[in-house]
Amino acid sequence: MTRYSVQATKSSPRIDFDPKRMSFEIKGESYPENCWAFYGPMFDWLEEFFVKSNGDRLEIDMEILYFNSSSSKTFMDLFDLLDEHADKGKNIVVNWRYHEENESAMECGEEFMEDVSNLKFNLIEFTD
Amino acid sequence: MADSLFRYYEEMQREGVILYFNGPVSQGVVESIADLMRNKMSAEEAGMGSVQRVFSILVEQMQNIVRYSSEREASSDALQGGMAYGQVVVGREMDGRVFVACGNRISAEDCGELTSHIERLRRMNPEELKAYYRERRRSGAPENSKGAGLGFVEMARKSARPMDYDIRPLDCDTSFFSMKVVAQ
Repeated sequence: MTRYSVQATKSSPRIDFDPKRMSFEIKGESYPENCWAFYGPMFDWLEEFFVKSNGDRLEIDMEILYFNSSSSKTFMDLFDLLDEHADKGKNIVVNWRYHEENESAMECGEEFMEDVSNLKFNLIEFTD
Repeated sequence: MADSLFRYYEEMQREGVILYFNGPVSQGVVESIADLMRNKMSAEEAGMGSVQRVFSILVEQMQNIVRYSSEREASSDALQGGMAYGQVVVGREMDGRVFVACGNRISAEDCGELTSHIERLRRMNPEELKAYYRERRRSGAPENSKGAGLGFVEMARKSARPMDYDIRPLDCDTSFFSMKVVAQ
């Protein structure tokens, strides 16, 4: 399975899913004009990954400075998808990283955490 | 025209206006104006929380213009999206809070639903808004929504008081919609 990698823009994050190293990262800002168009290929990639991969563990790092309401819905869809696979026995970890002063990123992380049930959702605060 | 500008300037000063934009809004304009306000507020050493709230309200309002303004130019390039006309105002209240306001033409048939949606949000307290946001985020987007249908709820959650809005009919097909949100 090939690596899925997208460069960051002003309004969309860098996505880097590397199945060889089993490293998964989404980092940056998220308020693209059309969320479904931007994230659609990422969801397609993940669906294929889950069919092909026989690994048991997936850890994804997310560091999002700001995301708009459409992205919020898209992230919930992502966590729902991961939650389903966690329910089927995969060990799935989401690391939600936020700057210590970014209270809204922290609160959003808490709300996502309350809305998932099977995956492990870590809130990770960092400083400069 | 030249002599009107001073009147506009004075009037906007009186209203505490920091930034005023009237014209075609594209995703590029959204990014530039939002960035400009973020840099300006950061330079003034506003806390990250308040910068984030203003940034968020600004992006939601401007993306609403891009999606819903009924005054638009068709783009030759479908991927670039369209240019949609609207107004955006950022300013400061007497108490120092930052407000974000926008105005644009909308299709008259959308007015009823828009009014009931905003009225419903105006009556909710913070806990109800949080529950409603989470419920709506889990369910599919409303049929006539081009986004996730969460933008107004998001703004209501960041608003210091019930959101102000106004809708006035222009002709049979078109109304003018405007709203003002004071950031917490």
